[in-house]
Amino acid sequence: MDHPARLKAQDISLAFAKNTPVLRDLSVDIPDGKITVIIGPNACGKSTLLRSLARLQPTDTGEIKLDGTSIRRQNSRAVARQLAILPQNPTAPEGLSVRDLVSRGRTPYQSALRQYGHDDASKIDEALAMTGMSHNAHRPIDALSGGQRQRAWIAMTLAQDTEILLLDEPTTFLDLPHQMELLKLVQQLNTDTGRTVAMVLHDINLAARFAHHIIALKDGRVLVEGTPDEVITTATMAEIFDLSCTIIADPVSGTPHVIPT
Amino acid sequence: MTVASGFVTLRLASLSFVLSYRAAILGTVLLAALLIAAASAALTGSYPLPAAQAWATLLGQSNNTADQVILLDHRLPRILTALGAGAAFGLSGAMFQTMLRNPLASPDVIGFTSGAAFGAVMALVLTGGSILLGALLGGAIAALLVIGLSWSAGLQPNRLILIGVGVSLFLTAASDLAMASLDALTAADMARWLIGTLNARNWTDVAVVWGVFAALLPVTLWLSFALNRLNLSDDTVTSLGLPLSPLRLTITVTGVVLVGVGVAVAGPLPFVAFVAGPIARRIIGGGRPAILAAAATGALVTLLADVAARAIPLVHLPTGVFTALIGAPVLMWLLLVQTRKGTL
Repeated sequence: MDHPARLKAQDISLAFAKNTPVLRDLSVDIPDGKITVIIGPNACGKSTLLRSLARLQPTDTGEIKLDGTSIRRQNSRAVARQLAILPQNPTAPEGLSVRDLVSRGRTPYQSALRQYGHDDASKIDEALAMTGMSHNAHRPIDALSGGQRQRAWIAMTLAQDTEILLLDEPTTFLDLPHQMELLKLVQQLNTDTGRTVAMVLHDINLAARFAHHIIALKDGRVLVEGTPDEVITTATMAEIFDLSCTIIADPVSGTPHVIPT
Repeated sequence: MTVASGFVTLRLASLSFVLSYRAAILGTVLLAALLIAAASAALTGSYPLPAAQAWATLLGQSNNTADQVILLDHRLPRILTALGAGAAFGLSGAMFQTMLRNPLASPDVIGFTSGAAFGAVMALVLTGGSILLGALLGGAIAALLVIGLSWSAGLQPNRLILIGVGVSLFLTAASDLAMASLDALTAADMARWLIGTLNARNWTDVAVVWGVFAALLPVTLWLSFALNRLNLSDDTVTSLGLPLSPLRLTITVTGVVLVGVGVAVAGPLPFVAFVAGPIARRIIGGGRPAILAAAATGALVTLLADVAARAIPLVHLPTGVFTALIGAPVLMWLLLVQTRKGTL
């Protein structure tokens, strides 16, 4: 694929325990300005790949490169201004307000002696507005519903004001309407601000609907990658998930839709 | 100066600091309570001092030797040591609790305080002095031991707490054992000190505890920016570009030194480090670590416990008896709350 990509994984391998590799010599590009979705069966290394891309998980071999330089050799604060990740199951202390949480996203621009820069307030307001959380800004996180809480966390990563946004299973624990709402928000962020988004999703049909680019993993390797039409085929579904299915065009979006048989 | 949602931002050239109104107001109330408690501790006791008389003594305008001895040689050093040790314990407790995201992870629960006490006892047994050095060394070794034993691909707070409780009990027993080699009189003295006592403090104790506290206060203020983010998950902290391991190391070293100096001047006052943080966080609210408020709360709890200890005449109960009386119910309450929420 020849699309420009600021963020790349080059031949990364990783094993949590000996003889049980999670990622094997894996190389992927995260195309700039697009929505990339990583799919694959449980324990195929989806989350590990995303966490490695965000320098949360060191790799055994290979390199993650951001703008051509190894992410490990760059200043972590500088990286945090280029790349934000929403990890799985993030936690916040009891009583922390939404606005306080979102303001934590400004950390890479702050320090102990510069706790609140001049554009911090406007960036925080902007992030709250983009996620539709402005009216909830003063409520404690623990008082919010699952969907609202996830929006608050996304607002925090938006306040980080990065061009690249990584989301690790952002729809987990959400019901279908809230999953749709959240993914539409992600789509809107991508269209309105041109942010590069890469996320892990469990639901193939949602992945097909919202992704420009899909990376399908199996056993720590890239099985196939490309547009939803290229990746979501009966052949790949059989190979990745051992799933026999027919594929129809989604009547709403025209994207491939998997119907298990 | 701009105001946004209960916060005031103070700016000075390119520097900026955020202060919440609630924290500022309640912090002031806490300091006022401290002052009132300190003043009443100075005036009351088996030898009551009228305020005017005490004030004159303080300014050096009194010729009453008894007043001078009582106030300047006994009560003031005792009060100031209580405040300094309590503040050091409170600060240290809040730092560890925030860093490990668990109120049970305070140095007096996870063995750092017992380590400092054991180090102090060993210093006394082996060299006949250097309690401060022994306490610092003992605290550091206990911290290394607990963190090392609980380390498994990173810091595991729950493992650390369980192992810490075990190490704490072991070191307490070791301290008792080490005292067997002391003569009866010193051993009796040490036994009281091991419960935590502020009896017969002098100005050297005051200088030691306040000197270290003053030196470390800027460090903890600097660390509070990070602590205010370390209370999120490890992944979030890293993703925000903060250096997780160096911060944890700095916090651990600072916290252990604070515990060491507190133990050296007041003994391992039980539960002060433990209760200060949760109380301060509830006062300040908003999910903030409330580091400074925890120092003030620790100081207040210790002073009140000492006033209570002094109020019972003749027996000279160690102050630690009363900090335990305050702290143990809080521990049980937190255990119940955490068990119910499943966060234990």
